Amino acid sequence: MTRRAGRVSLPVVIAGLLTLAATWVPYAAAQTVAIQGGTVHPVSGPSYAGAVVVRDGLIAAAGAGVEAPSDAEVIDATGLHVYPGLFNAFTSVGLVEIGSIAATQDDSELGDTPHLRALEAVHPASEIIPVTRANGITHVLSAPGGGPWAGQASAILLDGWTVEEMAIEPGVGVVLEWPSLETREFDFSTFSVREKKFSEAKKDYDRTIDELGDWIDAARQYEHARSAAGSGATVEHNHALAAVAKLTRGELPLVVLADRARAIRDAVAFAGQHGLRLVLASGRDAAQEAELLAEKGIPVILGAVQALPVQEDDAYDGPFTAPGDLERAGVPIAFGTFDSSSARVLPYEVATAVAFGLDPEAALRALTLGAAEILGLDDRLGSIDAGKWANLVVTDGDPLEVRTAVHHVIIRGRDVDLANRHSRSYELYGSRPAPP
Amino acid sequence: MRRFESVRAVLLSLALGLAAGSASVAGPPPEPPPFHAIENVRVEVGDGTVIERATVVIENGTITAVGEDAAVPAHAWVVDGEGLTVFPGLIDALGTLPAPRRPGGPGAGEPGRSGPRRRPDPDQQLPRGPEDRPQTTPWKRAADDLALDPEAVETWRKAGFTSVAARAGQGLFPGRLSLVRFGEPGADPEHQVVAPELAQMASFDTGAGFGSYPGSLMGQIAYVRQVLLDAGHHAASVAAFEADPAGWRRPDYDRALAPLAPAAAGNERILLPGSSAAEIGRALRLREEFGLNSIVYGGQEAYRLAGELAAGGVPVLVDVDWPAPLPERDRDPDADRPLREILHERLAPSTPVELAEAGAPFAFSSGGAGSPDEFLAGLRRAVAAGLDPARALTALTRDAAAVYGLEDRLGTVAEGMAADLVLADGYPWQESARVEAVFIDGRRYAAADREDGEEAKDAEGTDSERTEDTEGTEDSDHTGDTEAAEDAEDEGGSGEAAAEAAPGAESSEEAVAPDESRPRGRGARGPGGRGGPPGASGEALPPMRLAEVAEKYEEVAGDSGVPMTGPYREDGVLAIVGGTVLTMAGETIEGGTVVVRDGRIAAVGTRVRPPRGAHVIDAAGRYVTPGIIDAHSHIAAEGGINEGSLAVTSMVRVADVVDPTDIAIYRALAGGVTTINVLHGSANPIGGQNQVLKLRWGQDADGLRFEGAPPGIKFALGENPKRSRSFGQGPRRYPATRMGVLDVIRQAFTEAAEYQAAWVGHRQAEAAGERSRPPARDLELEALVEILEGERLVHAHSYRADEILQLLRLAEEFGFRIATLQHVLEGYRVADEIAAHGAGASTFSDWWAYKVEAFEAIPHNAALMTDRGVLVSINSDDAEEMRHLNHEAAKAVRWGGLSDEQALALVTINPAKQLRIDGRVGSIEVGKDADLVVYDGHPLSSYAVVQTTLVDGRVYFDRELDRVRREHLAALEQSLLESDDDEGGEAP
Repeated sequence: MTRRAGRVSLPVVIAGLLTLAATWVPYAAAQTVAIQGGTVHPVSGPSYAGAVVVRDGLIAAAGAGVEAPSDAEVIDATGLHVYPGLFNAFTSVGLVEIGSIAATQDDSELGDTPHLRALEAVHPASEIIPVTRANGITHVLSAPGGGPWAGQASAILLDGWTVEEMAIEPGVGVVLEWPSLETREFDFSTFSVREKKFSEAKKDYDRTIDELGDWIDAARQYEHARSAAGSGATVEHNHALAAVAKLTRGELPLVVLADRARAIRDAVAFAGQHGLRLVLASGRDAAQEAELLAEKGIPVILGAVQALPVQEDDAYDGPFTAPGDLERAGVPIAFGTFDSSSARVLPYEVATAVAFGLDPEAALRALTLGAAEILGLDDRLGSIDAGKWANLVVTDGDPLEVRTAVHHVIIRGRDVDLANRHSRSYELYGSRPAPP
Repeated sequence: MRRFESVRAVLLSLALGLAAGSASVAGPPPEPPPFHAIENVRVEVGDGTVIERATVVIENGTITAVGEDAAVPAHAWVVDGEGLTVFPGLIDALGTLPAPRRPGGPGAGEPGRSGPRRRPDPDQQLPRGPEDRPQTTPWKRAADDLALDPEAVETWRKAGFTSVAARAGQGLFPGRLSLVRFGEPGADPEHQVVAPELAQMASFDTGAGFGSYPGSLMGQIAYVRQVLLDAGHHAASVAAFEADPAGWRRPDYDRALAPLAPAAAGNERILLPGSSAAEIGRALRLREEFGLNSIVYGGQEAYRLAGELAAGGVPVLVDVDWPAPLPERDRDPDADRPLREILHERLAPSTPVELAEAGAPFAFSSGGAGSPDEFLAGLRRAVAAGLDPARALTALTRDAAAVYGLEDRLGTVAEGMAADLVLADGYPWQESARVEAVFIDGRRYAAADREDGEEAKDAEGTDSERTEDTEGTEDSDHTGDTEAAEDAEDEGGSGEAAAEAAPGAESSEEAVAPDESRPRGRGARGPGGRGGPPGASGEALPPMRLAEVAEKYEEVAGDSGVPMTGPYREDGVLAIVGGTVLTMAGETIEGGTVVVRDGRIAAVGTRVRPPRGAHVIDAAGRYVTPGIIDAHSHIAAEGGINEGSLAVTSMVRVADVVDPTDIAIYRALAGGVTTINVLHGSANPIGGQNQVLKLRWGQDADGLRFEGAPPGIKFALGENPKRSRSFGQGPRRYPATRMGVLDVIRQAFTEAAEYQAAWVGHRQAEAAGERSRPPARDLELEALVEILEGERLVHAHSYRADEILQLLRLAEEFGFRIATLQHVLEGYRVADEIAAHGAGASTFSDWWAYKVEAFEAIPHNAALMTDRGVLVSINSDDAEEMRHLNHEAAKAVRWGGLSDEQALALVTINPAKQLRIDGRVGSIEVGKDADLVVYDGHPLSSYAVVQTTLVDGRVYFDRELDRVRREHLAALEQSLLESDDDEGGEAP
């Protein structure tokens, strides 16, 4: 039943790199920065007028009475606001450069590849990275697609000379594209929509889910055999099963990409049946299952808020109100843009959710601490508290407002350059002399 | 003759599936003499009149006498019609000839319709355009390809059908229909042809698909238009030449144009497709445009247009293959059926009764119904919807003949008419009815001949089932299930007939007791399922009429005053009071009032008071702006937005395919959009003609058009036009490079200039009294000449700075100006050149990197071009993005530092100027259209939500009323889905 994973034996070099990344000792920014004079929104608590001191890439101190150390490079934030850096919790940043050019796409492998890690393909020189961070997004989840077993998503900083410097966590969850159960599908050979009988579609769907269950069982068996050391039997190493075993051990969450209510229900049942920790991603219809998700404590990384309703009769603002509905139901939420080039618009998508009922504080939390919690990174990221990584953004207003400008972006303690492909082109052509 | 008879006998025996191998079986006898008299029979004449007791005399295929005292000729074979009725034979007013199945099954021989889809042939010729005459065979006639399957013919005959207006095949112009009888075809099927040339036909259901020409609905319509023009021109040229050939070249014979000329001139009937309301509207416009003698076929949504069709006297051939859902087992249990689909399923069968009451001529067509059983089931549904059975009969007989001008030859039971008759004990579609005999061309086909062996048993079984069904309808009060009882009532004048029609309805106790031992199919509940083919479709809901829907809606809406569709409010005078009015005319008025009178802005200011009686919208704390204008949209268009088959498709018109029912219109209104520019796609260097719409939700396609908006056209540069058709297996279409794209445009305008000169030459010659023939009208070149003459605006899809510049220079070479550059993502690099040329620029706010030519896009584009003096707008190109264009505009503040006023102009007054409609819309000024939006915050704030949207002073969107309407519609849907059994149970 299981398809053979493509690359069973990875080159030793890559394996070595992986080990290195997994045990990465954070580099220290050789500077001390103090942001003072502004309003600090720590997210973990109420806002205050105060200062944030950053040393060695970490927040050294933050509070109303905090003073800038004498050796600090001071950022005057008078009249400005300091927020934790925004977390785009599902993207293909670093993996996809140009949407229409396959050669620039490294997000979707062939076959079932739960052991692959996005980080290994992240392109540190991607033009999309500086563009994205200039809008206050300091870190993203870079995730593979395809599958069903797509691979592992990596949390990365949007700054660094190499992926080693960018890595926050190379594997934060195994991404699974939930199989679709659609009766209408587009047939490219005839360029028309093909109607499939539901019973047929359902049979295929059920079979695929059975196969996914077999994967879980196989991983448990594999784990069992491997751990029975000294029995004399040789158990061949299998990277794919070893990766799935991280799910069965509870080491990593299963990140399921699912949109339809039925798929969400089935994924929840699947995770429950196999005792897996589930994070739902995309989750278009998640609000319809809010009660179930809240009851099971399953978080959702929401996709595009600015989306069209699916059915003709659906409320025009259904996708706008869904995040608020989920949040009020007690479902932990985060947001992602699920692509690469528009990763920077994340705050505006969330603003639409706020305009249609999501509590503004909950929105800010979902963009920072909430996302970090869902992905198990809140020990390092998500709020302005001493000891956390210094990912900060300094703005002249509400970061969800389009007209708000970003003045500083601090990533791992470094006041990064906001210049990017766009700003450089703007400056260059803005200064073009009038033609003769 | 003998030989013929024996051949016929063999065929017949084969056809009937008799044991041909058995030597002891006799063949059918020779045809008996053609003289019949039906005595003591009731006659439904077919024109609505009834003769209660008469004798019908048939001689040599013709009815020679009908009347109470008609003399029976001595040589006539007398049939006793006691208890029976003579009807005219039923006519399928548009069907397919029942052709024998090809040997070897589908796909074995030449590619048949049911065969596998053909793979594209890599060596195929690329389509050049209308001159290829794709799928055009108007010289064909159905009568000339008479391959009839005797068995299938017999099935139709036994059901009471005596002839079909048969289509000549598939295609855009498949050829002429012929009227063909359902008599035994034998060896001489031509004998069954009543009239070889009924009408020409056009159809759009060609399945041509992407890539081949024409590959879109608008391409097909444009093609039909061009061919009709060509046919007219060809005929006129031939006539002119024949009148005086001196010095002129003889016009070539053209096998496609010659047979279409009479139809193009309105002298021959032509069938035009029209099933949905939008399609019917298109057919009517085409009729008007060319003065066609047209007939609409399809007609399933004609219930909405009955009045219009009646007024125009346009006959409708109503397809009785009514919409039905998938069977439950094939349906996705989680999929909601749209209200619109449910409504159409229930309303479609009301088309005949609506047409009948409006006085519109109509007949019935088998359409998608593949068998007489399906046809008759469809008729039952029409009757259940309220169609008077006698009227149904007329539509099936005399009116079907009249559609084709044959009413003086057949369709009624009267002296001198063709002897195509049905002898039955009830209307042939009634399930209780039994057809005793069918006469075709005077030959008698006894229905009894089928009722031996197995078939007879089946028939009996069916009869008892029917009895049970009839009784079953008594306690359930279905609209749909009562037709048997109604029929009985209608026929009450003839006691015997009534008793026959509904044998168990009145007295039989036996029938009243349901036979529970017999499995009752689900189909027994609704009329659609009964008699329908097993498994093909699910059970349809009982039919209803528009007025009933209105009533049901009123029931659920109570006194909310919220209408089912269209504007929420229509006030002659209204005032929006107390808001911050961003006029976009250089002024922001705090605490201002906007007064609207008769759809126009009557007053704006702080000292303005709402007129007495005005409806007042309180905008205190809110913001009022002009309606958002989207200069680039692809919503509300049906059947494909690209005619990508050719490099130049300037003849194609979005106006032909406007879909006023697209929900994207309403959703756009909810985002404050009031005017959109619906553009052709970007598959070719010169695309089709665009259409500017005002989002008057609820109106038809004509009602949506922005009247007076200058016409325009789409051009496209770069990746899209050059990569078209690079996928798939067919050959690639020129151009494949940016050089080629420019070449295509240059070549097209070179031809257009020559075409223009030819017309000028002709007009001058005519004015000088010289002998001159007009050039053939070419719709492709006409549109380009309009560009040269500055009457048509060019909207050019473009990305790279170099191609933008090249296009500007090319336009200058031909002396015209590009109205807008669309997307124009690298416009910031040549902003000065764009400004100097005078082109507008309509760009995205911040999309980039989705393809190579978008990799240099910057979000500062709009601002930088604005700074350099270009007239800039921000568009959506997308049904979702258009819902928050105000927020997209705000990005030009964020990136590039435009002022709020400048930013909001990007989606209001600037696109209005680009589309040359700024005299009407785009700002809040006295005299302009009252297209207004009320926001709960500053429109450039990410949190601003549209509260109310007005178009022409009417409230088309209101956040609160939207919620109310949604509740009403959900309740309506519920009531539409509820079984009428329940309602019947509750009713006293």
